[in-house]
Amino acid sequence: MEVILNTGRTVDQGVSMERGKTSPEYFEKVAVAFLHPEDAGAVGVGEGQAVRVTTEFGSVVVRCLLGNTERGTIFIPMGPWANSLTSPLTEGTGMPSLKGLKAKIAGAPGEKPTPLEELVKRWRGEVGSA
Amino acid sequence: MALLKGVVCPFCGCLCDDLEVEVQDGKILSTRNACPVSRSKFLSHAEDRARPTVGGREVGMEEAVEEAARILREADFPLIYGLSSTESDAQRLAVRLAELTGASLDNTSSTCHGPTVLAAQECGAVKCTLGEVKNRADLVVFWGCNPAEAHIRHPVRYSLTPAGMYRQGKKERFSVHVDVRETRTSKMVNQFIKVEEGKDYELLSALRAALRGYEVKEAAGVPGEKVKELAERMKGCKFGIIFFGMGLTMSKGKNLNIDAALRLVRDLNDYTKFLIMPMRGHFNVSGANEVLTWLTGYPFAVNFSRGYPVYNPGEFSAVDLLYRGECDAALILASDPAAHFPARSVRHLASIPTIVIDPKVSLTTKLARVVIPSAIAGIECDGTAYRMDGVPLRLKKIVESPYLPDREILGRIIERVGA
Ligand code: SF4
Repeated sequence: MEVILNTGRTVDQGVSMERGKTSPEYFEKVAVAFLHPEDAGAVGVGEGQAVRVTTEFGSVVVRCLLGNTERGTIFIPMGPWANSLTSPLTEGTGMPSLKGLKAKIAGAPGEKPTPLEELVKRWRGEVGSA
Repeated sequence: MALLKGVVCPFCGCLCDDLEVEVQDGKILSTRNACPVSRSKFLSHAEDRARPTVGGREVGMEEAVEEAARILREADFPLIYGLSSTESDAQRLAVRLAELTGASLDNTSSTCHGPTVLAAQECGAVKCTLGEVKNRADLVVFWGCNPAEAHIRHPVRYSLTPAGMYRQGKKERFSVHVDVRETRTSKMVNQFIKVEEGKDYELLSALRAALRGYEVKEAAGVPGEKVKELAERMKGCKFGIIFFGMGLTMSKGKNLNIDAALRLVRDLNDYTKFLIMPMRGHFNVSGANEVLTWLTGYPFAVNFSRGYPVYNPGEFSAVDLLYRGECDAALILASDPAAHFPARSVRHLASIPTIVIDPKVSLTTKLARVVIPSAIAGIECDGTAYRMDGVPLRLKKIVESPYLPDREILGRIIERVGA
């Protein structure tokens, strides 16, 4: 299903980041996507279940949280999961496109949220990005 | 036990200066007046600290500093990036180091309010301090920002509920939230206006048209009457302010969105007093812009490879340099691009010798060739930081630290690079 992806700060992201970006708390609060309940239903994903989010820049599995997003839009807190999906193109401004991106969501039964170690391996070029 | 008062919070651009911190035997026991993020920063300051390493091997500070200097000396086109979560003396020395090594120098504003700076360079900005907002504002508009999550005490200390000289609390201020989605901020204000995704420019332009008496049927999903009502409200207030955030700078249009907002505010000053302020994120990102501007003439994305500063966002900004794979070494100071840059740009950072100066283990330290741990500015060392409105405040040292301040580490690297 096609959606618009927004990323940004949340209180939980800020608090858990100060606990440490390698902490389990950070993983729990940041490797998540907020979906409108009807969109989640449409792709067969429930609260806390795995959802795969893909853009032309990459793909990650995160935990679905049912939240107050508009239908057709999803929100992922800023962090390495969101940024596996964001655009590095700045159109000459220096500012990458971190909001309003075209994305696809799909249920990911049997999969777990992409671990941080996997993202680090992707940065190092040790594994592919999808 | 000591109770330290008037402590400035080194987390976000609000720089709340009314914190109280309880300290016993060099340990922080509790905080008062701090928001949850700030409390977490103070109480967790000793956790998850970085260790000095070279190539993943733990070394002494001297060896780490020596290796950092060697990398920068040998690099042809290094990048120095970050600066926004440290104090201004360290920022000053980062400029010195960039000049010495012919580096590109960029701060985190390129990925937050860089577009704001670009727009202000085009058409100027009508500005004021947060004190003036607290004392005088009777109309407060939050546009594309979410203070309830990102600048938690902003509404309480400066913009919505505080008792100011001429405005007593929330009932004497009308507040509006304009955004693509309802958030906690929408619940704190009098009116929420939903703008369609990526259409802020359209709504800002429609407001400018409505101000001039043109009829607007609909703009960005907002019915014409609502546009007219907001335009009239803006015109009719005594002291209005727009606070704006990443909802404008990061979405389609970027600096052009800000340009439209700045011009709307300029137009409004034909009728009343109206101001605009970016919600700055990192506690001293304003300082990074200030310091770079006094020393180089430019606020971010500066390159020294010709021996003098050249400014070109899009060319010398960190995300672009990394995405294009142009820099051959990097020094990251007080920021974590691996966590906050698009992964496509992070990859290059993993492939070049990267030096990280940071108090904590970060995701960038995981990719770094050299890690140099430092004291946390505003908790373990003093310094100066600039609030989001450009007011400089003095950060305090609350507890002793075994780590050196960023400014001393940079000083040592500079000595060795110059030698
Ligand atoms: S609002 Fe910002 S400056 Fe104020 S206490 Fe919270 S994090 Fe610190």
